[in-house]
Amino acid sequence: MISDPYKVLGVSPTASEQEIAKAYRKLAKKYHPDLNPGDEEAAKKMSEINAAYEQIKSERKYQNSAGNSYGYNQYGPFGNYGGGQQQRGDYSLFDSVKSYLFAGYYQQALYVLSTIQDRSAEWYYYSALANAGLGNKITALNHAKTAVQMEPNNPKYQRVLDQIQYEGQAYQQQSQQFGMPLSAVNLCINACITFYLAQMCCLCCR
Amino acid sequence: MFGYVVANMEKLTDKEKQYYRSFYCGLCRTLGNRHGKISRITLNYDMAFLIIFLSALYKTEKTIETERCIIHPFKPRQFLYNEITDYAADMNIVLTYHNYLDDWQDDRKILSFYAAKLFEQEYKRTASKYFNKCAAISNCLSELSDIEKSGEPNPDLPANCFGQLMSEIFVLREDEYTESLQAFGKSLGRFIYIMDACLDLKSDLKNERYNPLAGFSSADFKSILNLLMADCTETYKKLPIEQDNNLIENILYSGVWTRYEAANKKTKGRQSQ
Repeated sequence: MISDPYKVLGVSPTASEQEIAKAYRKLAKKYHPDLNPGDEEAAKKMSEINAAYEQIKSERKYQNSAGNSYGYNQYGPFGNYGGGQQQRGDYSLFDSVKSYLFAGYYQQALYVLSTIQDRSAEWYYYSALANAGLGNKITALNHAKTAVQMEPNNPKYQRVLDQIQYEGQAYQQQSQQFGMPLSAVNLCINACITFYLAQMCCLCCR
Repeated sequence: MFGYVVANMEKLTDKEKQYYRSFYCGLCRTLGNRHGKISRITLNYDMAFLIIFLSALYKTEKTIETERCIIHPFKPRQFLYNEITDYAADMNIVLTYHNYLDDWQDDRKILSFYAAKLFEQEYKRTASKYFNKCAAISNCLSELSDIEKSGEPNPDLPANCFGQLMSEIFVLREDEYTESLQAFGKSLGRFIYIMDACLDLKSDLKNERYNPLAGFSSADFKSILNLLMADCTETYKKLPIEQDNNLIENILYSGVWTRYEAANKKTKGRQSQ
């Protein structure tokens, strides 16, 4: 976790949501790998910017939700993890994440994960599981990949990544059997344009 | 977000092509009859897919007619329609109206303002017929707009929201298929939303606009899209669809990649120059 994510984005901690989003987009325009192909330095900088932005957004989100009257639901039925979490140490927090996951309380598992400061490979592993349970496929895939990148030799992480990717790969195989569309100009677009022009003529003639 | 759910024409036989087109022509005529001539400019193949898909599931009887039309005055066309065509035409008006309205509210495009005004009356008339559905769609869109405005870095959140909207469109009526159709619509909606984000990424970055995939690189896109489409085809396999399977699978396994492949070809072409 970044000690001062606001510094990475170059905004003050009191900045509004709009100001933060604006600062992020300005930096993304400068460093995004798609606009800087092959530039390792820019890619590294962009992942730092992404991490800082995500951290700020998630901190603010849970601050807001902890303040409202639905707080109980966030903590779930197994008791309040909001208060003394820092003293308990991160290991016991992973235990509670595990029990939430086991019981199918994915939202609660995510909440506890959001309170854990140190984003280790294990953190990403559990986050992938919780997000997969919630149907957040993209985050699940992304976090499983990160866990494997951080600890490539852990078979547990690799297994979860394989599981998440399995269906997508099966789909891709079937899709390749069909063959990909070749022509850049699709009939549909042509038809639409012809249609539009013809329609315009009708309007003018009326 | 139209133009993603189309067939790969190269892989269809001539007969299938004609059959596919006749759904499109049927929708065109139904739009004109139900919502006025001008509504035909909103015609698209995505809605034709909705008709093919639901007609195949419900085995709905279809009427086929051959006629000349304004667009093709010399070559008679086949029109294929049924009650699902009526439903799809109505949903098309609802989506088109919101589409124009969003463009006006988000980007202040003046043309979109007039276009939204043009369809306002038809939208209101249609919305009163599908009150709950249209209320749910409006809710999804305003939630989506809030998520986008907040600059949400997690792409799953807006994608799920758009999926919710599509699930409303795919539920024709309450029956034993409702849940499966919701699941199908939801997964297809997620794919459409993310596909749109993939194709807009570069221009959004350059213009400092919101893009749900800003935190990702285009190298990740293919695996993400495969994952989402796999979800969609899994729910399709569970539905007892026994007609037009080749056409539907052509769209789900190949046609949905048309714009993605076209965009990639364009970038590759530029790089090799």
